[in-house]
Amino acid sequence: MTVAFAFLAGMTLVSALGVVLSRSVVHSALFMSGSFLGISGFFVMLNAPALAAFQVLIYVGAVTVVILFGIMFTQRPQVRRYRTIINRQFWAGFLVAAGVGAFLAYVLSAEDWGGTKPGNGPRQVAAFGRDLLGVSQGAEVFTLLFEVASVLLLVAVVAAIVVSRRKMGQGIDRGVRE
Amino acid sequence: MPQQVQQFLHALVAAPPLNGYLVVGAFLFAIGAWGALIRRNAVVIFMCVELMINGVNLTLVAFADYLPNAGGLGVSYAVLVIAIAAAEIAVGLAIVLAVFRSRRTVNVDEVTSMRG
Repeated sequence: MTVAFAFLAGMTLVSALGVVLSRSVVHSALFMSGSFLGISGFFVMLNAPALAAFQVLIYVGAVTVVILFGIMFTQRPQVRRYRTIINRQFWAGFLVAAGVGAFLAYVLSAEDWGGTKPGNGPRQVAAFGRDLLGVSQGAEVFTLLFEVASVLLLVAVVAAIVVSRRKMGQGIDRGVRE
Repeated sequence: MPQQVQQFLHALVAAPPLNGYLVVGAFLFAIGAWGALIRRNAVVIFMCVELMINGVNLTLVAFADYLPNAGGLGVSYAVLVIAIAAAEIAVGLAIVLAVFRSRRTVNVDEVTSMRG
C-alpha cells in the first residue's frame, strides 16, 4: 500500500508540475490527464471504486477531450519561449503557492483528527448509490443536491451553446451560409 | 528473518496514514494555484483550476474513508463537485471560444476590456 501510495503521489504531483511548466499546451493537457489518473488510483485506495470509475470517465475521458477541442480551436502556432507563456509573476507566484501549500500541509498534518482508521468509505456501490440519492440515514440533503446538480447541468449545456454560438456576420466565417 | 526486515515489510503493506493523503491534496492545490497565477493562456488556466478541484476532491474522499463519523458522505460530495466542475469547464471553454472569435487571442493579459 505504501509503495502504491508513493507511486501515485509522485505521478500526480509530477504531472501537475508538468501542466504548469510545459511549453506546449497540448502537453499540458496530456499531463493533466496523467494527474487525473493518479487521483483515480487514490480513489481506489480509499475504498471508492465507483468514484474512481467516474473520475476516469469524466475527467480522463470527457474533460481532457473537451479541453483538447478548445486547444484545437484557439491555438495559433507561436514561439514557445517561457517569456511568452508565463507572465512576470513567476517567482512571486511560486512564493505565494509554496506558502499556501506549506501552510495547508502544516495545518492538515498538525491537526489531531482523533481515531482515524481506513475502511469507513462506502465500498459497496449499492450503499454509495443510496447515499448519493439521499435514501440512507443521515444523507437526506443529497436528495435536494442531486436535483439541483441536474438542473445546473442543464443550464450549463444551454449556456455553453448560447455563449459559443456564432452570431450572423461576426467573427470568422469559413464560407458557411446561415 | 531479522526483526528490522519484518518491521520494514510490515510498514510496506500497511495503509498509509490520513495525513499523507491530505498533504498530497494540499500540494496539488498549491501547484494548481501556482499555474493559475503565472500562465497566460486561458485554457491552461482552466486546467490548473481543474487540478485545484481535484486536490480538494482527494481531501474529501480521504476524510470520508478515514473518519468514522463522516459516514462515507464525502464520496457523494465528490460526485457533486465533479458534476459542477464539468459544467464549469463547458461554460468556461464556451467563453474562451467566444473571446477568441472576437479578439483572435486567448491570452488573458491582452483581454482587458473589463479593466476599470
